[in-house]
Amino acid sequence: MNAYRSAFVAGAARALRAPGELTVRIAFYAIILVVFSALWSVAVDANGGSIEGYTFPAMLWYVAAAEGAVIATKPRMIEDIGYEIGSGGIAVEMLRPVSVVGFRMAAELGEALVRLAAAGVVGVVFAWAQVGAPPGGAGALVALPSAAIGVAVNLAAQHAFAGAAFWLDDAKASWFLYQKVIFLLGGMLLPLELFPDWLSDTARWLPFWAMAYIPARFVARGAEPGLLLVQTGWLVVSAAAASAVFRSGERRLQVVGG
Amino acid sequence: MSVLWATFRTALVEAWANRRSFWIQVSIMLANDVAWVIFWLLFFGRVGAIRGWDASRVLLLFAILTTIAGIAMGLLANARKIGELVGDGQIDAALALPVRPLPYLLVRRIDTALLGDLFFGPVLFVLAGAPTWERTLVYVAASLCGAAVLVGFLVFMGALTLFIGGRGEQADLGFQAILILASYPLDVFGGVTKVLLYTAVPAAFVTGLPTELVDDFEPATAAGLVAAAAFFVALGGAAFSLGLRRYSSGAVWTRA
Repeated sequence: MNAYRSAFVAGAARALRAPGELTVRIAFYAIILVVFSALWSVAVDANGGSIEGYTFPAMLWYVAAAEGAVIATKPRMIEDIGYEIGSGGIAVEMLRPVSVVGFRMAAELGEALVRLAAAGVVGVVFAWAQVGAPPGGAGALVALPSAAIGVAVNLAAQHAFAGAAFWLDDAKASWFLYQKVIFLLGGMLLPLELFPDWLSDTARWLPFWAMAYIPARFVARGAEPGLLLVQTGWLVVSAAAASAVFRSGERRLQVVGG
Repeated sequence: MSVLWATFRTALVEAWANRRSFWIQVSIMLANDVAWVIFWLLFFGRVGAIRGWDASRVLLLFAILTTIAGIAMGLLANARKIGELVGDGQIDAALALPVRPLPYLLVRRIDTALLGDLFFGPVLFVLAGAPTWERTLVYVAASLCGAAVLVGFLVFMGALTLFIGGRGEQADLGFQAILILASYPLDVFGGVTKVLLYTAVPAAFVTGLPTELVDDFEPATAAGLVAAAAFFVALGGAAFSLGLRRYSSGAVWTRA
């Protein structure tokens, strides 16, 4: 079996073998849905039933999809990668005759897709029970592959970001900032339509909206095939950036001891 | 008390030892807090006031939340790690010391990043909380009570590991649940969720009542908050003490 496929399968199996971690994460996701359901229900009511074209059902489905796509990845992955680079542990992975970043991403994608599936089940059941079918209609089905691509873009971007640890001593804590950028500019907390124009325009030039906003928009507003192309483009760019950062970083890595 | 104070001072010195890392972590947390402020400004800028909550009132809530998080999880960092410490057998060394283990564990570690919250909360209160002498006094007292509720709840959730095993997964969930529920105005919730906020996940006592008290001080509400703080501190302490009787050593001495 291809090494990357093996890593993918092993990652998925790892997620399934840790039901406690998976349960905690999905329970956390459910709590977020309860909170945002309450918040948006009140907010949309106070605005005459719609905000920038988002009714309460559209907003609830939006939140369920955006949060689900983001929660599928490990929040502290940048910290973990930074630690492995800083401690030299990553040198062991460089002994394999495969790309370090490709192998890692395949394993992480396996894990993340298991979490995405679990979050998807909970999100669909919750939102459907609260407000019925997604307003995006049949276009909402596109949200499934879109969410998977969003997760892949997120993983690639995190590896590119974490690769800074090859040059910086203390890049680990930057995971916190990265998450907040997704929360805001990725449209995880608020659809981009609710931003001021200048901020919304800026967000559309960055990769983060491919991770949360685009899959959520498919569910809430229906299909826009052009957005899938945007996501695919960002996947290619992010993966290339991660690969380039790691290739360059691996050349300058110096490990002392064994 | 002197042993605990010395331990706490050692933890502070440890956190301060690597200045560069200290300031990087604090700065990152400050940036994180600013991101939340931006979120709330964007939210209320577009949505307007809801159920009596506008941007300035939510920023007051956020100032209280960050202050409480700085105290409960920054200065007493192990409060949310009791389950993990028990699961990994890392409390062994504390049990051999001539001090009460729970207070010792609580003051033993400082989370540097969360000290950023402890800086940010008071600054935000000064900027957005319309401080007067009376409001400031209530803000400080209510934040201490909220922190006591949070620490008591987190210790209780972590101490459950002594009864049910595992590595504190339920404590992680409790921590995440109370923090997210405490981040939003109490009045947006209703029905069963609101009941939960006063009982199983006592987020109402962490930020809800403190915010209400700063805005409109009522002696009965203040008494309720103090009683809740005393109750949750006692609950956490009792669960830990009872659970210790069932604890078997993990024989991990080196990571205490």
